Amino acid sequence: MTQTPEFKGTHLFDRLCWAKENLEPVQTDYRVVYEDSVDECAKILVPDPNWMACALQGGILPPVWVPHELAKDEAQPDFKKHTRGYLLHNTEPVEAMTEKQAIEYLILKDCPQSVVETWDTGNKPKMVICRKEQLPQTREWRNAWRISDELNLAA
Amino acid sequence: MAGKIIADQIEHSTAGSLDTSYVVNGSAKAWASMTGAGTASVNQSLNNSSITDNGTGDYTLTNTNAFNYADYATGCGSQWRRSLYTAAQTSSSINFYTTQPDASETALADSGSTGFSVTFTGFGDLA
Repeated sequence: MTQTPEFKGTHLFDRLCWAKENLEPVQTDYRVVYEDSVDECAKILVPDPNWMACALQGGILPPVWVPHELAKDEAQPDFKKHTRGYLLHNTEPVEAMTEKQAIEYLILKDCPQSVVETWDTGNKPKMVICRKEQLPQTREWRNAWRISDELNLAA
Repeated sequence: MAGKIIADQIEHSTAGSLDTSYVVNGSAKAWASMTGAGTASVNQSLNNSSITDNGTGDYTLTNTNAFNYADYATGCGSQWRRSLYTAAQTSSSINFYTTQPDASETALADSGSTGFSVTFTGFGDLA
């Protein structure tokens, strides 16, 4: 297995370039389906294969609280530019994750906070992790896709 | 990292010289090529953590390394959709879609019967 260099303090973009050159992309079969509005169809989050390779390799990605901190900064009304980008580069990178842990990280990073915080409240789950084979195989009626009311959730 | 070259200029034997700042500042800092047929998937990319399929012709790309500003320069293209619009953009994500696809394009996208591909590039300073 390729050894990850000591990356703490290395610009995150440089790490991503290293990963693209040295790691095989990993096409995961997992998809995250979520609904963030009752008026809109279900959305499907697809992990990026290069990102997944970084997550499984370990020592490359910053902890998930780092992008959250940058998002908080950006949410300020007087935001012009990021001034805490160093958090991306100087924070100790996270260790190797399993595929399941990587999906959980990605949900926390890329799904709307409103969905992450309330996905299991209400009459049915607002978010489901599934395999791509469980999704419709064509995009017919794509704008009408919803999470089924009769969902049989795995433990 | 090993193999580092520090230089302010590079020079070609006949075509002249160039400041390396042109290369550093002028290179795409994020890009992705994805297929929208069937279930969406990423073909190739750099500095991208996920794509979200929001519906017909409506996608969100999220970056791993955020840009410094929310208004970084972007370019979107499509195999056959004529117009792609940026609907919303933050320093770490971009949502783009086509507002008025003609009937044949919508049918192709909905059937998933064609190699419907979308490309994205982002230029700017990184956080």
